[in-house]
Amino acid sequence: MTNLEKMLVALDPRDESDHGPALLATRPPTLNGKTLGLLSNNKPHSEELLQMIAGIMNESYNIKNTVEYNKGSHQWPANSEALKEFASKCDVAIHATAE
Amino acid sequence: MTSPKLTSLKHRFSDWGQAQDYYLESKLTDGLPIVPPSEDRVRAMLEFAGLAPDQVVGVETIRNKHITAEKVAVNSVMAGCRPEYFPVVVSAVAACCDRSFNLHASSTSTNGVTVLVLVSGGYAHTIGMNSSTGVMGPSNQANATIGRAVNLVKTNFYGSVPQDMDNSTFGHPGKYSFCFAENLDASNWPSLATDKGFDGESSTVTVVAAYSPLQVSVFGGKDPTSFLASVAHAMIGLGPSISEVLVVLSPEVMQYVNEAGWSRQQVQEFLWGKAQLPARDWIAWRRVEHPETFTDKDQLVGCVADPSRITVLSAGGAAGVYIDIIGSWGNSRTVTRKIEIRS
Repeated sequence: MTNLEKMLVALDPRDESDHGPALLATRPPTLNGKTLGLLSNNKPHSEELLQMIAGIMNESYNIKNTVEYNKGSHQWPANSEALKEFASKCDVAIHATAE
Repeated sequence: MTSPKLTSLKHRFSDWGQAQDYYLESKLTDGLPIVPPSEDRVRAMLEFAGLAPDQVVGVETIRNKHITAEKVAVNSVMAGCRPEYFPVVVSAVAACCDRSFNLHASSTSTNGVTVLVLVSGGYAHTIGMNSSTGVMGPSNQANATIGRAVNLVKTNFYGSVPQDMDNSTFGHPGKYSFCFAENLDASNWPSLATDKGFDGESSTVTVVAAYSPLQVSVFGGKDPTSFLASVAHAMIGLGPSISEVLVVLSPEVMQYVNEAGWSRQQVQEFLWGKAQLPARDWIAWRRVEHPETFTDKDQLVGCVADPSRITVLSAGGAAGVYIDIIGSWGNSRTVTRKIEIRS
């Protein structure tokens, strides 16, 4: 028996299917003049946190306006139709959680 | 006849110790040693259940995970399962993929719940599961390794890795393994499998996104209204934001229920009616995430939404007058699946 034949062979338990890399949305060259989307997961204070972040961003950039969407639950993904509508209304978005 | 091809990546090791080091250092275990998943052992699992390696046993849609029989078998071997346990693991994994179970959120939440695997029906006895003394504790190979296998599938294949995607604040000892069987001898009731609508010959597996068990000592008389009141009191401690409750009656307590002639439904309805508080009390005790949603502060709010969300069964040893209650996480629903056994 060769050394190779004597080796212990064991299988890998992980998901080896190739879903491809996660894709990042295209980044705008500047936030000036952009509409900022604020996506809340409905955790307590998440909307307050998003408003604070929006305030800080307004100090640094000439944000055109903000649109808000609360996805209703931190336990489920956002409704895909509602998310598409939200995305159509803003150029960039921030998603935040809080307690 | 040639065996179907196994497609998992193969690792080669000079000895058992080197294999252990690889799986441990690659974070492919729960921190305990594993059985190296050789091709022969994996094939034995698949052959017992009559499953092809590439057969998809469950699809979890949020992370788009198509879980194959081969990968469940690899993780089951690692956990120490015997081939006859494999159909239980497969059914449990399939149940976890039901959207209502919400595997993604429940297995990543800071809440740190685990997957409790509860087996009902004759197959638990066939494979030697423990439903009696020390039912939720160590020593039984089937209980220990079936629960471990489901957790390894969750971490290794699904990706809910502790300190990574699984961001539990405290974790849960049941993340190593949490699996037991219903004690059919103790109860006059139909099995949980039958109660869930399966035929009398079927065995089932029920998965619960389970918090830690809370043991309640029963004092006083044998009247169910007395000892179930103490259980309802403990249920209130779980808060009004849980999805379901599993109530496990020790055989002695079950005997009192049998003698009183109470049905499972009566127990469910009694507990549900007792485990309620006015909204203002829950709010005062800071047990409500969104108090602004309660317009009527005198409205009675239950620990769970309705009696059907209280699953009641018997398990455990003959000695001891105890009841265990186990809350389930968030919006996760318990899911029951038939165990498919090749004849």
